[in-house]
Amino acid sequence: MDKLQAGIAALGVIGPALGVGIATAAAASAIGRNPEAAGAIRGVFIIGAAFAEGLGVLAIVLGILSLVL
Amino acid sequence: MTVAVARKSSTRRTLLLAALGVLIIDVFAGVISGGAGLEGFPGGVIKLALEPIVPHSVINLGSEEHHAATLFDFYPSITGSIIMSWIVMVVVIVPLILLTRNLKEIPGKIQNAMEFAIEGLSGFAMGIGGPGAKPFITFFLACFLFIAVSNWSGLIPGVGRIHAFRAPTSDVNVTVGLALVAFVYFHYQGIRALGIGGYLGKFFSLKNGGIGLFVGVLEFFLELVKPVTLAMRLFGNIYGGELALTVMTTITLAFIPMALYGLELFVGLMQGIIFSVLVLVFTMLAMEGHHEEGHDEHHEPAAAGGSSTAGAESQVAAH
Repeated sequence: MDKLQAGIAALGVIGPALGVGIATAAAASAIGRNPEAAGAIRGVFIIGAAFAEGLGVLAIVLGILSLVL
Repeated sequence: MTVAVARKSSTRRTLLLAALGVLIIDVFAGVISGGAGLEGFPGGVIKLALEPIVPHSVINLGSEEHHAATLFDFYPSITGSIIMSWIVMVVVIVPLILLTRNLKEIPGKIQNAMEFAIEGLSGFAMGIGGPGAKPFITFFLACFLFIAVSNWSGLIPGVGRIHAFRAPTSDVNVTVGLALVAFVYFHYQGIRALGIGGYLGKFFSLKNGGIGLFVGVLEFFLELVKPVTLAMRLFGNIYGGELALTVMTTITLAFIPMALYGLELFVGLMQGIIFSVLVLVFTMLAMEGHHEEGHDEHHEPAAAGGSSTAGAESQVAAH
């Protein structure tokens, strides 16, 4: 039962993966449209990806916690 | 043609010899340890090698002689992560003090390198936070140096396996502590910039009627989420990386764990950058006034530092 719980918690990583993919696509097309603003777009993309990845890590941590507690 | 072929086959031969050497070392280690734990391969061996979420306490400062720490506990002790964070502090602070003595007008080689590094990082920070971020660069640099070096310290062979040494950021206590310090820091900066009435007025204002108050309360609760995500992102990345490395080095041999090791090096640096950048961004967010003038400020300063930060950011963008 613990392993099932951990497995279902690990499914929560699908969301951030999709989010980071969408952010990368938006950043790539924005750079393609306006190459001069590449630095600014890179900064915005890094921050967006960090936010999304943080939530994915929360899902993994909950999964690990269910195995330990 | 023949020279290229000869060079390729000689590197391949070197790699094969190196893999053979690693295999021999693995067999030797297995024989020396009496094949200990090999009966439960791989599950039992992995369980023996895993480091627990709670760090081992090296010196007990409380009343009990042997305290088995649980997940939610409050017991004073000097754990392996505290000892390792002292080592990290020495490694970061002592070279910086030694290298910045006797500053001259015309810099020598070492001072030149230090100035280049600091200016690169400051340019990166100003590119993200805008020109108003100058007073906060010291905290940004401190967070970045401590977190990056302590993430990398977890990759030194032996750290994490020996109970007295454990990467500081793989311990929930340390990451929660860092997040709490950052939380107090950016709220203090916000109150210092706006005054306590103005700062609380960002959340609990009746300016836009009842809906405005509701949105303000919601934003207040969102503020409480920020240190939680800061702490758990860092902890999950570093502790999860150590878990993955343990499993990988137990199951596979020779060169395959090196790929994960390289990824962990990169992730350690990236998590340091992300933590410091987020602290900087939250500080700038906390200092801005009411929402009418806030939203344009980010896009202009982000564009202003574009050319100078392109060099630093090109290494960051690959993630």
